[in-house]
Amino acid sequence: MIAEAKPEATATMTLDGVDLAFTEGETIYDVATRANKDVPTLCYDPRLEAFGACRLCVVEVEGIRNPVASCTTPATAGMNVRTATKTIEKHRRTLLELVASENRENEVDELRGLASQELKTLLDRYEVRNGRFAGCQSGTTNTTDDNPFILRDYDLCISCFRCVRVCAEQEGDHAITMMNRGFEKQITTEFNGILKDSACTFCGQCVQTCPTGALGDIKAMRAESLPGKVEKTRTVCPYCGVGCSVDLLTKEDRLVGVQPAMDGPANEGALCIKGQFAFDFVQHDDRLKMPLVRGEDGELHEVDWDTALDLAADGFKKVLERHGRHAICGVASGRAPHEAAYTMQKFIRAGFGTNQIDNCSRA
Amino acid sequence: MPTNDELIACWQDEEAPLLPLLHALHDRDGFLNEQDIRAVAEGLNIPIAEVFGTVTFYHHFAREAPGQSAPRVCTGPVCRLLGSPDLVKALDGATPMACAGRCDDAVPVLQGHEIRVGQTVDTLEARPSPLPPPNPGGIEECVFAHIREPGRATLDGYQRTGGYEALKQAREMSREDLLALITDSQLAGRGGAGFPTGKKWEMVEQADGEPKSIVCNADEGEPGCFKDRAILDYEPHAVIEGMAIAAHATGATKGFIYLRYEYPDSFKIVERAMAESAELIGDSFQLYLRRGGGAYICGEEGSLLNSLEGKHPFPRNRPPYPVTHGYDDLPTVVNNVETLASVPPIVAKGPEWYRGLGLGEHAGTKLVSVSGDIRRPGNFEVPFGLPLLTLLNDWCGGAEDGRGIQAVTMAGLSGGFLAGDDLDVTLDEPSIKAKGSFLGAAGIMVFDDTRDMVEVAHCAMEFFAEESCGKCFPCRIGTQRLTERLNGAAGPDDEAAWLQEVRDIGQVMMATSACGLGIAAPNITESLVKYFPEQVTAHLKTAHQSGIKQ
Repeated sequence: MIAEAKPEATATMTLDGVDLAFTEGETIYDVATRANKDVPTLCYDPRLEAFGACRLCVVEVEGIRNPVASCTTPATAGMNVRTATKTIEKHRRTLLELVASENRENEVDELRGLASQELKTLLDRYEVRNGRFAGCQSGTTNTTDDNPFILRDYDLCISCFRCVRVCAEQEGDHAITMMNRGFEKQITTEFNGILKDSACTFCGQCVQTCPTGALGDIKAMRAESLPGKVEKTRTVCPYCGVGCSVDLLTKEDRLVGVQPAMDGPANEGALCIKGQFAFDFVQHDDRLKMPLVRGEDGELHEVDWDTALDLAADGFKKVLERHGRHAICGVASGRAPHEAAYTMQKFIRAGFGTNQIDNCSRA
Repeated sequence: MPTNDELIACWQDEEAPLLPLLHALHDRDGFLNEQDIRAVAEGLNIPIAEVFGTVTFYHHFAREAPGQSAPRVCTGPVCRLLGSPDLVKALDGATPMACAGRCDDAVPVLQGHEIRVGQTVDTLEARPSPLPPPNPGGIEECVFAHIREPGRATLDGYQRTGGYEALKQAREMSREDLLALITDSQLAGRGGAGFPTGKKWEMVEQADGEPKSIVCNADEGEPGCFKDRAILDYEPHAVIEGMAIAAHATGATKGFIYLRYEYPDSFKIVERAMAESAELIGDSFQLYLRRGGGAYICGEEGSLLNSLEGKHPFPRNRPPYPVTHGYDDLPTVVNNVETLASVPPIVAKGPEWYRGLGLGEHAGTKLVSVSGDIRRPGNFEVPFGLPLLTLLNDWCGGAEDGRGIQAVTMAGLSGGFLAGDDLDVTLDEPSIKAKGSFLGAAGIMVFDDTRDMVEVAHCAMEFFAEESCGKCFPCRIGTQRLTERLNGAAGPDDEAAWLQEVRDIGQVMMATSACGLGIAAPNITESLVKYFPEQVTAHLKTAHQSGIKQ
């Protein structure tokens, strides 16, 4: 990725009594975040165009009667901003009480998705689990969509539209939309159908940006009841040449899910259906754990490693003697670890002296 | 009947094509089916999911039969007083619709492109909307000065008293002089926000980017407001002339009239007026008429512009403002019908004349729509500064015999209620704001002393909940929760706790909502609690006893 040169700071504003320089185009939220202010948000995703729906990021600006949404308001020279006055914090608490009142539940397993704990964390921070503002629930869970990847549990949806926006702005699929108005607003697909019939490519970005777990990673959720803590290991997705950074989620010694890395330089939180959901082969019952050799009977039989390797070496040698080194070609698997891919090319290049090595993931 | 392809070919290269194309298909079939929506998406190169979501946003786009052919009955606040919910039941296949702007001649029933009015099935008839009555105060008018002359909506009728002379005059002036004239008149936005018109035009004139547009906001959706309807039906050329003058002042070359769906008669009248005046206006200013799909929020300028552009009609984040980033993200004047119709007389007679129409220090006039429990409802052009009680009692004849005025709404519904001693106020923004309300678009609905104000407040909040666009959290959830507290469906039984919840919701909505809908809606509950605490207490007792809570 080519980093853009950061323009010089051109003006100054005051934030909670401190003068701060900013560059034109920055919002109040940008400046506040840089100053390590923990301004709460629910509809914000730094990769998306600021939307201004949740209103949690409101701040007071001197000379403006009502608080403004800091995520959509540009910083201007001489602006005097206060990010967490008593009044502002009270509004945030009331907003969170209102949000908490519209859901079936507000506790979800972290395996539902990368951002799934955002609402829960804010409810804890503002201590607002008090049952105020009781009333009917918004959003209706889709129980007819039986796709194996994305849970559509809209009973927990707070209409932040991050899924709609990530699908349009990041993935370019425009598969997700919002129907109706007001409290009846419902996240759905074209003609209120199922994802399979829409433009969805099952990239999973909607799941990973959902701040409540209304959209859930069905594959990872299978491990919710497994014992152990979720651990994350940073690696690079082996499926193709883009080089998306991912965190592999494990519980004890079991791979339970994949999440995109928001700071991955190649993907910035994006993945495709394979990188996101196609990891079952790792622990699949059908996976080969011992080499197989075809016998006289035409069937494959399990043999020990030495027998198999000897047989393979003989085969390679014969080809080499009869047709020369360039008759050898290697194709490594995208489902093998990077270390194996490296070893494979070393084996072909150094072992046989040919450059005829490729990988099925070379996209 | 035209095919989808023919209709798409007809609209796809036009300005602001989505709404008219959807209407063309909807008019043809009576509803928009899946194939229609797919065809529109492909034809206009918009994602299908987006077109689908946008279609579901509007009230009047049906997706299945009987769709457009089924009657829709107004159940706005005034029509409810006249028993319109019974008319919904009595009319075969009828469904309710939000206030359709016929409060002075209720109850309107919309079916296809026809409006019929009447309070019972047998008395429903199609008739022209009421003309404003002659000014009861005998006071000189600006917008209504000639509106009662026969044939006024035609070009001949309009030109009989100097119509389009102001445009000629304006076109002979420099932009600078014209802008100065409008600024000097102190004309301000008559849709309710009151932004100085001259300043707005000047900002557009100075903004970078072309082509610039003039958008006439004729999406008069505020319950209890029907003043723009009177202008559009009887004085459409004044609006067109006003827009052409604005175009000359700002350098705009395009104009749009965004008309609410529920005014089909006005659509035809304006369409004809546009055709008649096209030659006179000339090629330098192209005018387009666009019909909404039924959505109160599209009266908010950001939503209106999104709707016009074929986007999901959410309000836009501000800044930037339409003066720099309006239609197609280019400099745009968005003015209300009344504001634009005031322009030609101001140009013709001068700013001093216009300013002088107001009482005392107030400049100019305001159209006010009065309806509800009042003897003579209608549209009135009042000088700013006129006492409210003069309007209600002297001009409109007060309440029926033996009844008193219990409360009136301000700004349609958005200003909440005024009652008791606070009715003793003059009609101008500073005075009404001092009472915790605002004049806004100046719809005044009257409720006499037989009315249950909690029920009136409930209907009002239900309207805001149904019309909330659903974007910002405080409005989306707040209007719903307030509605539930007013109808007893949810909320605390204990009065102190109830009041605390209602107040907290109101405060957060007023302070943090993204547009005027959410900011204004709690005026209803705030003023209810302020003026009618004993009715609130009685409501909570009844709700508690009847156990209607879910």
